[in-house]
Amino acid sequence: MNTLKIGENTFELAQIIIKDLKASENIGILKCIQCGMCTSLCPAARHTDYDPREIVKRVLDKDESLITDDIIWNCFYCYTCHSVCPVNNSACEVNQILRQKAIDNGKGKPKIAPFSAYGDSFLEYGLGAIPNDFFDHLLKDYGKEWLQLKVDLEDIREELGLGPILLPEKDVNDINKILEKTGFTKRLERVRRCKDEGNSR
Amino acid sequence: MKVKGHFSRYAPKSSIDIGVFLCKCGGNISHTVDIRRLKSSIDAKVVKEFENLCSIKCQRNIRDVILEEELDRVVIVACSPITHEKTFRNHVAPLNPYLLEMANIREQCSWVHSDMDKATEKAISLTNAAIERVKYARPLDAIVRKTKKSAAVIGGGISGITAALSIAKQGIKVHIIEEKPTVGGNMIKIGKVFSPEKLAEECALCLFNPLINEAVQHKNINIITNAELKSSQRKTGNFSLLVERRPSFVKEDKCMACGNCAEVCPVDVPNEWNEKLMFRKAIYKPFPQSVPDVYTIDEENCIKCGKCQKVCTMKAIDLEMKGEIIPLNVGSVVIATGHKGFDLEKRPEYGYCRNEDVITQMELARIMGVNGPTNGKLLKPSDGKVPRRVVMVQCAGSRDEKPGGKRYCSRVCCMVALKHANFIRRYYPETEIIICYTDMRTPGMYENYFRHVQSKEIKLIRGRPGEIVKIDDTIVVRVEDTLKGEQVEIETDMVVLSEAMEPSKGTIKVAETLNVGLTEDLFVKEKHPKIRPVTTDVEGIYVCGTAQGPKDITDSVSQANAAASKVSEIMNGGLEIEPTIAVVDNYKCDICGECVKACKYKAIYMHDERISVDPIACTGCGICISKCKNKAVEVMGQTDSQIFAMIFGLLKDKKEGERRILAFVDYIGYVAADNIGINRISYPESVRIIRIPSINRLMPKHVLFAFENGADGIFLGEYPDDIMYPDIQAKVQEIRSELLRNSIDPDRLLYYKVYAPYFRGLANKLTEFDKQVSKALDKLEPVLYKASSKDL
Repeated sequence: MNTLKIGENTFELAQIIIKDLKASENIGILKCIQCGMCTSLCPAARHTDYDPREIVKRVLDKDESLITDDIIWNCFYCYTCHSVCPVNNSACEVNQILRQKAIDNGKGKPKIAPFSAYGDSFLEYGLGAIPNDFFDHLLKDYGKEWLQLKVDLEDIREELGLGPILLPEKDVNDINKILEKTGFTKRLERVRRCKDEGNSR
Repeated sequence: MKVKGHFSRYAPKSSIDIGVFLCKCGGNISHTVDIRRLKSSIDAKVVKEFENLCSIKCQRNIRDVILEEELDRVVIVACSPITHEKTFRNHVAPLNPYLLEMANIREQCSWVHSDMDKATEKAISLTNAAIERVKYARPLDAIVRKTKKSAAVIGGGISGITAALSIAKQGIKVHIIEEKPTVGGNMIKIGKVFSPEKLAEECALCLFNPLINEAVQHKNINIITNAELKSSQRKTGNFSLLVERRPSFVKEDKCMACGNCAEVCPVDVPNEWNEKLMFRKAIYKPFPQSVPDVYTIDEENCIKCGKCQKVCTMKAIDLEMKGEIIPLNVGSVVIATGHKGFDLEKRPEYGYCRNEDVITQMELARIMGVNGPTNGKLLKPSDGKVPRRVVMVQCAGSRDEKPGGKRYCSRVCCMVALKHANFIRRYYPETEIIICYTDMRTPGMYENYFRHVQSKEIKLIRGRPGEIVKIDDTIVVRVEDTLKGEQVEIETDMVVLSEAMEPSKGTIKVAETLNVGLTEDLFVKEKHPKIRPVTTDVEGIYVCGTAQGPKDITDSVSQANAAASKVSEIMNGGLEIEPTIAVVDNYKCDICGECVKACKYKAIYMHDERISVDPIACTGCGICISKCKNKAVEVMGQTDSQIFAMIFGLLKDKKEGERRILAFVDYIGYVAADNIGINRISYPESVRIIRIPSINRLMPKHVLFAFENGADGIFLGEYPDDIMYPDIQAKVQEIRSELLRNSIDPDRLLYYKVYAPYFRGLANKLTEFDKQVSKALDKLEPVLYKASSKDL
């Protein structure tokens, strides 16, 4: 049984999240009435135990174990919860802030290593692209038709007059230089190392 | 500081005989105030003292003295005018009741001070102020409102018809203006209404039709259908309305409603009365029980082929018929323009536009109405089969802060869903009902109905669906069962969305035409949600039913009756109004309209190139005076000379080294100040309280005059929860800047928000302010000295 002690500020965690830079202005976290509209459409909830409504509920209950709970790593930022919430709350943003807290306290670090693949494909192509590592998974989910689309994509684009999908090598090099100078490449290295840090623990 | 200037420039011409009557109040006053000393200090023709001035015996005494001494004015030195001003105004007859002034030396002197010497000195100055002020009093007569004994009710739904019937029964002529070809509004469409008492559904038409028939037959009621309000002008408490009546192309007196015309009409039009679930003809009668019972041609869709004319044996059809403009002059207007259902195209995730079997509660009502498209059978629009399951989705468009959504709860949808659920369970026991709800809101007796319906095996899922999609031939409602913490896909063959209520287009348009304020959600705004729920911000215009906000029939009917009694109040009550209101001098006025703009009570309006004041709406706050560059406005009983005289009187006997603070407070502030006395709490003797209608009445010149004449500090107190509050803030700012310009320390001015029950706060603030002023004076004396020596 949980005892609600007099004078305990159960809104502390919610207030920290509201004040976080990542939170939208006027985020409706305190207005949440647990209607479950977010969860009704959440693809992560469909396939895992993730429940955006429950995340918000736990935040409002100042459940700090949430930060170290693996469950927060199940959201994949489709923003559906954000776009349907009738009180302009965003479970998705709440989740991002919780993850940052997990990263800050070290527990989340191993979780972010896989994200380095996004950085790698950015370096490789000069634009946001689905990492090559995911290819096999996508093929399994989407099937051969998708593979055929990938094969024919350049032809289809040409037919539609859209030009090539990839950037010219010179542009990719320029972007790489920018990423180098702005510290992105170094940061990516750090993200990659998180994996090892996690293993060594 | 020394008293500068002389007051003679404000003095009246001829000498005036004033009588002063002192009350000892059985010791309440005389134990603290030295009556003998007070009496000897008074400069008046007659000064008399009494033990209990408010007694009936004293009434005769006062009257005798007035007659014997031929007094022109009377000053009563006694208790608070809040308690006894009315009594003494009656006592001074045959003098005009407004030639009386009271000095409050009980609540604001003997009850708050204990030092007899200081209390007596304060009593003297309060009496002096009253004497000075009464010299400038003018005889005033109560204003008798002359209102035409007729009213217009806009909208012929349950609210409009109820209001009209009640008004008519109180002997007042009523015009009902209805934009559609028939009266009845939304209620007549809904088939069944819920009865929490009988735990059953009742026939809406059977309840409403007798009222409509009564309205039609009532000699005081005139129903104008196919009509819209075009314009409105306020004239001395009345409204000149222009109503435009569209042509119906059918002569009402000839049409027998046989329906031959509709049979030959070749034009099919979606029938809006059946929520467009079926067709009607271009010549039509909305429904069998329409009132008036005649056919109408819908001009927009008629192709003027003339076929109807050929079959009409009554020769009732006139395709050349013209519309008409009907002028109405009424004393009051009731807005009963109702609501409409939320436009579900704004929520594409519910698939309302893509899926025939996703319908609204109103559509379900029509489907289940015996005079509806399926003759009362519950059938799916797509295939005409009975649904095996009906899922109801609550809060469709309500409690929704996303763009286009309605932030409010629409109040009736829970009950509507339960009503339909109960009805379906009774007649179609094979059909399952699932209600997806956010909160079930069935307050009061409605809870009984909720429990009753629940027992009919209605599945309730606590969760708000995010999406309704069609997978193959099945509709799927995606929802989280939040009590279980589990995503659910509900398969169904019919979905009913409990659509939000929103103001009808007519509501918004009529409010604009009548210049009546709307809420953020575009419903007609009531003057005060608690104590004036049917009064709009324009006096004489009332609102009832869903035009004012979402509500059910019960509440609409109550409100309609309330609005009717407000109408009757102004017409049958022979209303007498206090004359202390704004008066415009039309010779000085150049009709710039600044006062009209400034008055948020909408008491000032323009008509026939003149500025007029509605005596009921005017609170006499005086904001108009500050805005008038031609000095064409005055507030009776609060003229500049009266205010100056009062200030002068309160300061004229100020002694060297003494501190005097003038506290200008509104009615609430004055009541709070009296409460300080009633509770025997004290504040410094330096404080002298002056009642003003509002800080908006004050101008920098009054405050500067007070400082010039020796005031050490000015305290301004007003109740802040009023629509004029922003103007008060602006006014305080204006006065403060004027002080700076005149090298007066702004610390010597204080604005404080007063509340009647928070008198302790006021007492503390007055005490604090006295100290603040004392400090400011110590600090600023040399600076002031410099400023004045420069003047010399």
